[in-house]
Amino acid sequence: MTPAFAPFLAWRYLLTRRINILGVCGVAFAVWAMLVVDGVFSGFVTDIHEDVRRSSPPLLLTDLPHDTDYEPLRKVLEADRDVIATAPRLRQHGMVMPFSPRDRGRRPAGSEQLEFDHTRNGFALLLGIDPDRERRIVDFGAWLDGGPAAIARYGGIRPRATAPVQDDPERRRRLQVDDEQEWRARRRAGLPAEDDPADHRSIWPGMLLGWPRVFRLDWVQKGDPFEVLVAAFPRHHAGGPLLRPCSERFAFAGWFGTGHRMFDELTALVPIDTLRQMLGESEFDEDYVELVTDVAIRPRDGLSPADLRALQRRLRAAAQAVLSPDCAPCSVLDWRQQNTTLLAAVDQEHSLMQIVLFVVMLVSAFVIYATLHMMVVQKIKDIGIVAAVGGSPRGIGTVFLLTGTIIAVLGTGLGVLAGVLSAMWLNPINEWIYRISGGRLELFPRALFDLQGIPCHLEPSWIVTVSAFAILLAVTVAFVPARRAARMHPVTALSFE
Amino acid sequence: MTAVLQARAITKSYAIGKREIPVLRGVDLDLHAGEKVALLGASGAGKSTLLHLLGLLDRPTAGEVRYDGRPVQDLSVAERALLRHRQVGFVFQFYHLIPELTALQNVLLARMMGTTVFGYWRQRRRARSAGVAMLEQVGLGERLHHRPAELSGGERQRVAIARALLAEPRVLLADEPTGNLDSETAQGVVELMFSIQRERDLAFLLVTHDEQLAARCDRIVRMKDGTIQGSRPGDVQPEDSAQAD
Ligand SMILES: Nc1ncnc2c1ncn2[C@@H]1O[C@H](COP(=O)(O)OP(=O)(O)O)[C@@H](O)[C@H]1O
Ligand SMILES: [Mg+2]
Repeated sequence: MTPAFAPFLAWRYLLTRRINILGVCGVAFAVWAMLVVDGVFSGFVTDIHEDVRRSSPPLLLTDLPHDTDYEPLRKVLEADRDVIATAPRLRQHGMVMPFSPRDRGRRPAGSEQLEFDHTRNGFALLLGIDPDRERRIVDFGAWLDGGPAAIARYGGIRPRATAPVQDDPERRRRLQVDDEQEWRARRRAGLPAEDDPADHRSIWPGMLLGWPRVFRLDWVQKGDPFEVLVAAFPRHHAGGPLLRPCSERFAFAGWFGTGHRMFDELTALVPIDTLRQMLGESEFDEDYVELVTDVAIRPRDGLSPADLRALQRRLRAAAQAVLSPDCAPCSVLDWRQQNTTLLAAVDQEHSLMQIVLFVVMLVSAFVIYATLHMMVVQKIKDIGIVAAVGGSPRGIGTVFLLTGTIIAVLGTGLGVLAGVLSAMWLNPINEWIYRISGGRLELFPRALFDLQGIPCHLEPSWIVTVSAFAILLAVTVAFVPARRAARMHPVTALSFE
Repeated sequence: MTAVLQARAITKSYAIGKREIPVLRGVDLDLHAGEKVALLGASGAGKSTLLHLLGLLDRPTAGEVRYDGRPVQDLSVAERALLRHRQVGFVFQFYHLIPELTALQNVLLARMMGTTVFGYWRQRRRARSAGVAMLEQVGLGERLHHRPAELSGGERQRVAIARALLAEPRVLLADEPTGNLDSETAQGVVELMFSIQRERDLAFLLVTHDEQLAARCDRIVRMKDGTIQGSRPGDVQPEDSAQAD
């Protein structure tokens, strides 16, 4: 039971002692920092997660033997009631170089192998896809919209580069550009071409590049030829060389941007059939297989995490049964598992930063402790007075505990208010700073992170957690001086000079 | 009639290092309602110590303090605090007001001890008017909202008296209440205390060095060598007055 004098005195002390403002400000600052810094960080993390998720199929069957055939896997995977669609994927590292006879003898763009930047050194991860199937797994439309949008952010002006949509399913499958586009590209490149574009039939397979690569090659136009080089260990080398290089000419068919920077920088999307041929698979061979390194899988929507886990296990077992019995175990990964390294690094940084913020909070708790401790020392006489008037030790301790609590509650309230307001006004403030500094100063360099604005995700649960934690911490810390006050002998306190 | 407050064979010693220094060596004292008792003694004789023991601010090393015949040494700390709040009003030489509070708030503090926040909230109007009335009675009706720093010594002591009496205690313990005041102011404060004492029929123990003031009390007790000798007013022993400073 709290006697009435405790809150009364606590409140009077709080109002009359300026030093307590320090404690309130300390808590407010810590809470504000916890909300805003973590809000922004969470924003970044959420954005990164979204981007990574957009760039990844919901489920991916991978770690397959290097001679895996798609068709038997497709049958068993699509037989599962929770699988909507599957798409074959073939990954292969290669070099992508713009083909330009005019540059022969001079330094072509792909010659800078020492460049760290993949978009300059020509190194690429070729991802062979079947567009019609892939479309059912990932949001291909968003990928294609994302490319021009990203380039526009960097000041480049590019028309929207839709995927080459052809009526002929065979041409669509090969990502081929229009006849006339290829004809023009041939003319530009000085390659042999018919006199009349109407007579030309495009033959080059198409290639979609990630937007950062396109951004580097600023003269590239739709239909422009690229040389793609792969070197592979062929499945059946029949006495030939063990490592077989193969190059092929592709037409630049468009660009994409998933938002996942590493994926966009590295990846070139090519028709899976073409890539298979480059690796030595011929449809006319007797033992032709629809070679895949992975199978992208779209499960039914609305599966619970537990259902999804069960589905992963089921699909893995089903796939394993189809594969040759002595091969290494394959895996079925969800989008997080496909990107564990990046996501773990990001999450790790997030927790590290929360620890730093936690230290800020500790410092503010220490400020409360110091002000309360000082107050107890300065108020020793009052402690004796209150005891003489009939105050119980518990009540006297409560005075100081309550002072600490009120400081914490006020500080937390102010901090939450400031945090929510600055989260709401973060982008306008950033704009304003950017403007008045003439573009020299920015709170967050947006361009660095490929973001249109500063993302700030203030979770209500985080606000509640931080507030509860701040108050709890302050009360805990206030407990020490409060106990000291309660234990003070009234006569000693009264005669204290 | 049993005394409101009784001390029986009280001893009190302080440990200084390893040595026990006895201050009180068996004090017996009865204090009846309506009785004014002056406590005289040299400085350092243990008068304040006795007052603290009687007012339950401290515990005797041995012996008993009784309120209405009931010993209090077995009461818990909180029960002693409550008893002190209900029964005892303290007035000190150095006023001991809380500097952050106004005169009225200092006085009202005495109403906030034995009650919860909600209990006080329900009776806050009554408490306030009682506080105002009390301050008016001590002649500070115009000084309700002054802080102690804005009051003179005499005014401060009047606030302290108002605070001591607001909870309507039956015992008033005053430790050299005029020791810090000039004689004219002191006179006013003394008259005030005496008049309230009479009006409320208080048991009043007054520590003082002033023989004339002591002579106006019903009884004088003298402290010497940790014990007390009672006496009636008038039979002042010359060596005692010589010892008092
Ligand atoms: N807390 C304490 N520790 C040790 N000695 C004390 C303490 N309080 C009082 N004394 C001693 O007890 C004696 C009596 O003190 P006190 O009661 O204040 O005397 P008085 O009020 O009669 O002048 C003094 O000698 C004083 O030094
Ligand atoms: Mg004294």
